[in-house]
Amino acid sequence: MSRTISIEPVTRIEGHARITLQLADTGEVEDAKFHLTQFRGFEKFCEGRPYREMPALTARTCGICPVSHLLASNKACDDLLAVTIPPTAEKLRRVMNLAQLVQSHALSFFHLSSPDLLLGWDSDPAQRNIFGVMRAEPQLAKNGIRLRQIGQTIIEILGGKKIHPTWVVPGGVNEPLTEAKRDAMLEMLPEGLAIAKDTYTFYKTLIPKFQAEAEHFGTMPTLFLSLVTPKGNLEHYDGVLRIKDAEGRIVEDKVPPSDYQRIIGEAVEDFSYMKFPYYKPLGYSRGIYRVGPLARLNNADACGTPFADVALAEFRTLQADSGPIASSFHYHYARLVEIIFALEMMQRLLKDKDILNPRVRARARGNRSEGIGVSEAPRGTLMHHYKIDDAGLITWVDLIIATGHNNLAMNRSIRQVADAYVNGSDVKEGMLNRVEAVIRCYDPCLSCASHAFGQMPMVIDIRDASGDVIKRITRD
Amino acid sequence: MLNPAARTQVSTLIIGYGSPIRGDDAIGPLAADHLARLQDQGDLPDGVDIQARHILTAELVEDLQRAERVIFLDAAADSEAGRVHCRRIGPDARAPSTMAHFHDPRELLAWCEALYGHAPEAWLITAGGERWDYGYNDLSDSARAALARMIDLTLQQVRSWAANAAPHA
Repeated sequence: MSRTISIEPVTRIEGHARITLQLADTGEVEDAKFHLTQFRGFEKFCEGRPYREMPALTARTCGICPVSHLLASNKACDDLLAVTIPPTAEKLRRVMNLAQLVQSHALSFFHLSSPDLLLGWDSDPAQRNIFGVMRAEPQLAKNGIRLRQIGQTIIEILGGKKIHPTWVVPGGVNEPLTEAKRDAMLEMLPEGLAIAKDTYTFYKTLIPKFQAEAEHFGTMPTLFLSLVTPKGNLEHYDGVLRIKDAEGRIVEDKVPPSDYQRIIGEAVEDFSYMKFPYYKPLGYSRGIYRVGPLARLNNADACGTPFADVALAEFRTLQADSGPIASSFHYHYARLVEIIFALEMMQRLLKDKDILNPRVRARARGNRSEGIGVSEAPRGTLMHHYKIDDAGLITWVDLIIATGHNNLAMNRSIRQVADAYVNGSDVKEGMLNRVEAVIRCYDPCLSCASHAFGQMPMVIDIRDASGDVIKRITRD
Repeated sequence: MLNPAARTQVSTLIIGYGSPIRGDDAIGPLAADHLARLQDQGDLPDGVDIQARHILTAELVEDLQRAERVIFLDAAADSEAGRVHCRRIGPDARAPSTMAHFHDPRELLAWCEALYGHAPEAWLITAGGERWDYGYNDLSDSARAALARMIDLTLQQVRSWAANAAPHA
């Protein structure tokens, strides 16, 4: 008989989600869906608010990546003011963005994914958690905590607090950097870089074990979207949009972020509160693309910092052909490369003597009725788009969240993993863990991504071929 | 000390945590802020580190492992409004955290024990809240009264430990 397997909650991710696998009578997977089961509604309840509130409001979308929303929102506000922020303010914002990247990637790798990577997908679920990692590799666990602490402390030094810092403002930042603060940040970075390099080197030794996962975890032809610098290098704060196809051909380049609506469309499905962005010229859903660390490294011509460029060259050898790395499994690898880049780049920015310049804010009133801010969050490209009335009140908001861009890809990935690993007549825990694990490759932040109105059943019925309910699972 | 790695051993770590924009949930960080002001005035013994946090995050393990004792200060939604309660807590790896980026204090103690072989003696002082609406450090009347009792109770504990630890003349 046909049946539905429901994995809920999906564990070791940020936010709440459910995966359903529909099995045919033969036990083969017929369909797989990734459901976002929480609704937030920021795009609606922000209407009517003064635009200057948007950074504080949207930062509260999430406790993991508030800095990302703070930056994208303030960039949209910069656009509404029609200002170019002082160069020092841009450098300081970049430092905060990179610190956010370090702490977020560290959480994803060391705490959320390492239980699978180190202990195995089929290991005892009672042990396959952070405590299992602490027993098996205590120094690795400590290193993860220390890296997070370095990232969070830099955010706190700059912004006054680790979660929801308020120092970034429309027009720049609130106050310049002091020597003492700069020195305190510089002091931590060599240790962070040593940890990042050691972890990268250790992780490379594990790669041969993951050939099967690399083959089946979201290995599919998609486009890749990210920001790049005007010269085509790795970029996280500003720059222009680039899209490459699965063969590595550039299909869109030097697209101003303000022009994103020409290339990005959004669809809605009735089984999830998360929207489904797609590349417009190819339509929905042929226009599937991925964002985040994998896409950024695939799209960048170079990182621009010494050890990260060495790591990038090694990253490009993860598959036999010379095209973009296709396996979503290698998001883990890409995250480690980006941690190295972020630490090297923070060193460079903080050693720049201009970083102590007191000119850090451009002041103006609203001069445009529409503002767009795009930056790279740890999980991918983040877009904030606001429209305001003459009084400066928000009339319309569109938020395209990093995790949302990956929605189509995540759905296809779980289908691929389920096809490879789930045997309907003998469903083992390790099979279902792999279905969850492919989602963890994307490191989704579901708190951020839930903005679509949809219909979400809160009761899961498993029916036999006759349509009779044989099992009911309810969510509290 | 801006670099956490440079911090030294402390006898008592006080962590007040909660959201400043959710009504009575602000009581933990507000209590910590008040204690920090008392500390600046010299009203607390030496060897006390006070932190106000929005949430308990994994990197706090680094601070826990340097402390002999820790007091967590938090609001409680399942307690009578205004009631202040103090209880010993210990490491518990099964204590639930709903999201990966913030933790239950017992889980954090379990992380500390697993990684460093020890966890500080720990107390959780809670104050029952009644209002959780959006605002900024906007406590209900009962929470405001409870805040004072929470601070007094914390001071009693900290001063008593310091007195017991002092060498006899």
